[in-house]
Amino acid sequence: MFEATALNARNARIQTLFRLLFGLMTGLLILPVIIILFTLIQEGGAVISYDFLFTSPTDGMTAGGIFPALIGTIWLVAVALIISVPLGVAAAIYLSEYAPENWLTRAINLAIINLAGVPSIVHALFGVGAFVLFFNFGTSILAASLTLAVMALPVVIVATRESLQAVPLAFREACWNMGATRWQTIRRVVLPNAVSGILTGVILEVSRTTGETAPIMFTGAVFFTPFLPQSVFDQTMAMSLHLFVVSTQVPGVPEQLPYGVALVLIAMVLTMNSLSIAFRMYLRSRKKW
Amino acid sequence: MNRRRRIIATIMLSTGLLALGAHARIAIQNKGSDTLVNVAQAWAEAYAKKAPEVAIAVSGGGSGTGIAAMINGTVDIANSSRRMKQSEIDLAKEHGQDPVEHIVGYDALAVFLHPDNPVSTLSIEQLSSIYARGQEFDNWSDLGVKVPGCKDNTIIVVSRQNNSGTYAYFQEAVLGKGGKYRQGTLDMHGSKDVVDLVEKTPCAIGYSGLAYATDHVKMACISSQVGKPCVSPTVATASDRTYPIARPLFMYTNGAPKGDVKSYLDWILTDEGQCIIANKGYAPAHDVTCE
Repeated sequence: MFEATALNARNARIQTLFRLLFGLMTGLLILPVIIILFTLIQEGGAVISYDFLFTSPTDGMTAGGIFPALIGTIWLVAVALIISVPLGVAAAIYLSEYAPENWLTRAINLAIINLAGVPSIVHALFGVGAFVLFFNFGTSILAASLTLAVMALPVVIVATRESLQAVPLAFREACWNMGATRWQTIRRVVLPNAVSGILTGVILEVSRTTGETAPIMFTGAVFFTPFLPQSVFDQTMAMSLHLFVVSTQVPGVPEQLPYGVALVLIAMVLTMNSLSIAFRMYLRSRKKW
Repeated sequence: MNRRRRIIATIMLSTGLLALGAHARIAIQNKGSDTLVNVAQAWAEAYAKKAPEVAIAVSGGGSGTGIAAMINGTVDIANSSRRMKQSEIDLAKEHGQDPVEHIVGYDALAVFLHPDNPVSTLSIEQLSSIYARGQEFDNWSDLGVKVPGCKDNTIIVVSRQNNSGTYAYFQEAVLGKGGKYRQGTLDMHGSKDVVDLVEKTPCAIGYSGLAYATDHVKMACISSQVGKPCVSPTVATASDRTYPIARPLFMYTNGAPKGDVKSYLDWILTDEGQCIIANKGYAPAHDVTCE
């Protein structure tokens, strides 16, 4: 047997030290999340009730609920998804499965990465110029969701492309050798194996679009409207803008109310995320490699 | 395959139906001044009970935002806490719009001070000495006071962002035509932010609509000249124009209002509509008795 030397002992000590240090860093990382959630629940928990969720604001937005904003956010995110997911997934399939390796493909990839880096306020102004004024959709859910969709496209494209490329080439080759076309291979082999990754992209998009304020405040979301949207051409209230409004624009709002709005907004994102993560884990458990 | 087709068909059909539903309701778009936004919200809230078929969507952003939307033709009613400039009216006409002005109320611009500040009266000249470019006053001692809690007694001058109608009106009323604000003001993005800041900062002075006053700040009594009697900002002194920094509040429509926009504006000017603005801390456009 070995006798532990001084050097061994020293190495072991250093090892423990670094492990502790890195563990501490990880702990620090989740600290803000815990503090935010704790504060929101403590301050805003009391506001949440059936009436808060399912009635309109009253008394100059200092009382009542958030129902129009809640429904508005669901509309905005849903329409943005309907637009961006098919577009993003199709683009990613082309880039991953069909595109030849040349300067054009590289340029397109570069453009997508740059699009992801464009600040949301720039997307907002683009949305006003393109969708509200040029296409003449007016300030509407359609214009706001299109703006959100443009903003979220890179997320969907990059996530989808990554997950398509994670499917081993051998799978495709086996399929081609059976005489299948490229499309048949994509449809029957690549996509079913990549769906969990694609879903991650969609989750990320939902979380991001739910919380965005700048792209919607000029293109479709309003300070106040007492009605629920009936079509994509209506304007609507939205949770993120409502949070901004009740915390900074309206005098005499009870202190707890903004916390309540923030709590519901966070809960929406977290619920969406956990549902999708659960679904993703289920799909992954069926993965064949 | 068949089931999938049916799902796609359903989705397409429901989207189509949603698009058809677009004209089932009358929508009025109302945008602009942050000073007016809370009144506009209260009007929209009350009007929804009067005329449930009319949906009024209110947004803020500042008078400049509302006027820009009027020029672009994307609103039915633009709110503004300042009169449109001739250049803006010309631009609107070039874009095929014809802005028509309606005065819906009056607003007293209160000058806010920290409650610990011994100053309680200010003249327009003194305000100008604090706010104007090349200002003479940058220390509270220039006004002959020592402010408790204010470390080196330097005045912290709080103003608004430059697309605010409040900013433009205060400039005109206090600094005079063509007068410029001094450098180094703290420009806040909302009337409420100004009041919140002054409340927490003993050195500060700021201005905002009277409606944004709270119990935690002091409002200066304003005189037109040093030595003349001063007037405190209230709904009454704004209504009878004795308060020196009171301004009209505007709503602009494209052409003379018609149909539902006309009914809405008419309702705003009824006693019922005017009592709503009075209850929000602004002066009504005409005398009303509210409970």
